Amino acid sequence: MHKKPLSKQIYDARWCYLFVLPCSILTGMFVIYPIGMSWYFSLLDWSGFTKEAKFIGLQNYYEAVNDEFFWDAFIRSFIFMFGTVPVKIVLGFIIAVFLNNQVLKLAPFFRTVIFMPVVTAIAIIGIVMTFVFSPFNGPANKFLMSTNLTSAPIDFLGNPDTVLPTVMGVYVWKWLGITMMYWLAALQTVPQDVYDAAKIDGAEGYRLWIHIILPIVLPFAIVIILVEAVGALNVFPLIETMTAGGPFFSSEVMEIYIFRTAFVTDSGTMPRLGYACAAGVFWGVAVLFITVLQGLWMRRTRRI
Amino acid sequence: MKKKKELKISRRTVMKGALAAGAMMSAGSIPSKLFAGEYNIPDPLKPLPTTGGNMRWIDSGDMKGVFWKKLFPEYAASRGITIEYDGLPWKEINKIVPIAIRNGTVHDVFQLPLGMDPGVAVAEGWVQPWDDYIESIDEWLAAFPSGVYLPGVNQFNGKTYGTCLTANKRTGTCLLYSEKYMSEAGYDPQAGRMTYSEIRDAAKKITKNGNGQYYGWIIGGNQVNRWEDVVHTFGQVGGAHSGRGGFTNRHINFQNGKFQIASDQYMEAVELLLQLKSDGSAFPGVMSMNAPQARALMPQGAAGMIFQGPWCIGVWGRDAPNWKYGIASEPVPDGKEAQPLYIAEGGSNTFWLSANSTMGPFAGDLIRFMGTEQGQIYWAQTVGAADPAVNPDAVAKAGLTGPSAQALSMFAENILVGPNPIVRNKDVGIVAAKSRVPDPSLALVIQGLYTGQLKGVEAQLKDCNQRYEDALDKAVEEARADGANVTRDDWVFPNWDVYSNYGAEKYQEL
Repeated sequence: MHKKPLSKQIYDARWCYLFVLPCSILTGMFVIYPIGMSWYFSLLDWSGFTKEAKFIGLQNYYEAVNDEFFWDAFIRSFIFMFGTVPVKIVLGFIIAVFLNNQVLKLAPFFRTVIFMPVVTAIAIIGIVMTFVFSPFNGPANKFLMSTNLTSAPIDFLGNPDTVLPTVMGVYVWKWLGITMMYWLAALQTVPQDVYDAAKIDGAEGYRLWIHIILPIVLPFAIVIILVEAVGALNVFPLIETMTAGGPFFSSEVMEIYIFRTAFVTDSGTMPRLGYACAAGVFWGVAVLFITVLQGLWMRRTRRI
Repeated sequence: MKKKKELKISRRTVMKGALAAGAMMSAGSIPSKLFAGEYNIPDPLKPLPTTGGNMRWIDSGDMKGVFWKKLFPEYAASRGITIEYDGLPWKEINKIVPIAIRNGTVHDVFQLPLGMDPGVAVAEGWVQPWDDYIESIDEWLAAFPSGVYLPGVNQFNGKTYGTCLTANKRTGTCLLYSEKYMSEAGYDPQAGRMTYSEIRDAAKKITKNGNGQYYGWIIGGNQVNRWEDVVHTFGQVGGAHSGRGGFTNRHINFQNGKFQIASDQYMEAVELLLQLKSDGSAFPGVMSMNAPQARALMPQGAAGMIFQGPWCIGVWGRDAPNWKYGIASEPVPDGKEAQPLYIAEGGSNTFWLSANSTMGPFAGDLIRFMGTEQGQIYWAQTVGAADPAVNPDAVAKAGLTGPSAQALSMFAENILVGPNPIVRNKDVGIVAAKSRVPDPSLALVIQGLYTGQLKGVEAQLKDCNQRYEDALDKAVEEARADGANVTRDDWVFPNWDVYSNYGAEKYQEL
C-alpha cells in the first residue's frame, strides 16, 4: 500500500496538532526553554543579575564535583529519599488496608484527618513545626519531659544528629495522606470477586494480603515508589522553612545547596547563578537516571 | 409578647460624638493634618504629580519598620498615594532583592543586600540618582555631617544614588542583660566593662539560679551572621584592629592589609562562646532560632544575657515595657584594655531608588523631609539608638533617655572612623563586585565549631583566614584582568593611628 507523504499526514491530522499546540507552547516556554537556558548558564561565570557573563566551558561542573559540600548535599538528598520513601510506602499501605475496609464506619473521617496535612501549605507547616520542636516550650519537648522520656529538652532542629531525622519525620507526616490515597486507589481496583473467592478457598488475614492482594497491586507499587522517590528529592520549601539547611549544612540537601549558591547568602557578596545551574543540571541528570532505572524496573515487573 | 427595643446611649458614645463634633467645628481654623496624626508633614517644595500611585518600600525593618508604619500612612494620605511597606530581616532582603532586581519587580525604594557593592548597582543600571527628585539637593546634602555622603560609597559620577538618614556609629553585639538575673548572680555590668571570665561566671550563676527555668546566655544561632558579628566585634575589643562592612573591609587589619581571622583575639572570642556552651550556660535550642526569636525570649525570662544590637531597646520597650534590662559595652578578654571599634565613613541604612520606579518624586519628597532636622527628630524619637539619626543636633533635641541615650553615649565613646579602601581607590569597588566569600565562611565555621561538627578552633580559623586571603587575592587578580588599577597595597594604611579617627586629611597623606 502506498504510504501518504508526511505533509499529507500532518495536514490530515491538523486538528490534532492544533489542539496539541497550546500545550506545546506552554511546555516549550516553561519546561524546555528553562532547561535549555540552565544548560547554557551552567557554562558561564555569571552572578545571574549583572550584565557581565563570561563563558568558562565546563569549569563550573569541574568545581562542583570537586566541592565536598556539593557531594555532602548530594548524598544527603538520597539519605532523605531512602529514609522517607520506604516508611511512607509501608505506612501508607497499612493505613490504606485498614481504611479500605467497608466495615469501618469512620473510615472517611480518618481518611480526611490523614489527608489534611497534604492540603496545608508546606511553608506554613515548616514554620509551625519549628515551634512544635522548639526546645523552649515546644509541645514535642513538653511531652517528652512530662512523660520523663527525657530529662532535658532536645534541640531537634539545632542538633546536627537530630535535625535530618526530624525533618524527614515531618515530611512523612505531611505527605502520608497522598501515599495512602495512591494505595486506596490501587486497592479499589481489586475486584470484590477476588476477596470472595479467596475467602471460599480459606485465604484470610495476612495470607490474603501477601499471596493474593499484594501481587495484584504490585504494578501500582512501582508507580507509587517512583512518584514518591522523585517527590522526596524535591523538598526545598520544607527544609528552607524549617532549617535552611543548617546547622552547619547538616540538613542541606541538593535543592538548598543550589538555592544557596544561586542567591546572596548571609555572608553577602555576589551570587553564582552559573555555578548553581551547573549543580542543578548535574542533579537533574542524576534524578533522571534514577527515574529511568525505576522505569526499567517497572517494565520488567510487568513482564513478570 | 415582643419586648420593645430600648435606645441605649452610653457615656462613651456621647463623648465620642462630642469630640467628633468639636473636631469638625474647629477644622476650619486648625490645619486638618494635625488631626490626621502625630507628624507635621510639610507641603512639598514643588508640586508633585497628581496621578497618585502606589510606592513600594523594602528595608530591614526592626525599629525602622515601627517608625515607617506610623509615618507612611500619614505621608501617603497627605500626598494622595498609597505606600506598601515590607520590613524584613536581612536574611530575607538578601534573597528577595536580588530576585526582584533580576525579574524587574524590585520595590521603588530598597536596601541592597548585605555586602553587595553599590558601585555594581549603579554600573548595572538597577538604581537611579536621587538628584532629580530631592529639591535643592546640594543644599540638602550640605546639612549632613561630613563623611556621610562620599564618592564611591553612595555618590557616583557626581550624583547621589544612595541616601542615608542614619549614622553607622553603633555595634550589634552590646551586652544586653536582665537586671534581675544579673544582680542575683552578683554582677553589675554598669560598674565597668565585664571580662570574659566574668561573663562566663555570671552565665554559670544565672543558669544555676534558673534551675532549668532559665539560662545564662542566648543567641540566635541559626542566623549565622550573629556568630561572625560577635567574634568580629569581640576580637576588635580585644585588640584585633580591623574594618567593618563588606567582604573587602571586614576582618582586615588596615595596618598591614591582612585578614585577622586567625588572630589570638578572634580565637579567644570563639573560645568564650564554646565555653558558654560547655559550661551548660547556653540556652538549649540556640541553634534552631534566629536573632529576633532569641531577642523575644529575653523579656520572657528565658536567659540572662544576649549579645545584640540597640534595636532591641525599641522592640522591648514596645513589647515588654515593664521588663527591667540593662545595656553595656561588649566584654573584654581578661587582663586587657578595651580597644576601639571602627566603622567606615558613610551612613547606614542606605536607600536606593529603583531605576524602574515612577514614584521618584514622592520618594524624593519623603527622603528630603526625613533629612531635615524635624524629620530627623521624628526619626530619633521613635527609633532611638536602634538606628541613630545621622544629624547629631536632631538626636540631642529628640530628648532621648534611658537605655537609648546610654547606648548612644557608649557608641560615641567606643567607636572611631577607620580607613576605607574604597574611599582611597574607587577601583576597590570592582574587587568587591568580583569577590566571593569562601565556603564555609567565618560565620559558618564558628557555627560548625559551636555545634561540634568542626574541631580545633586554631586550625579552623587559620584555614578560614587563608581561604579569605586567597579569595581576596583572586578577586584583586580578576579585577586587574578587567582593567582595574588596584593592588593589595590599597588595603594597607601605614598612617592609621588606631586611637584616632581616619579622616580626609589622612587619605591625602597617603
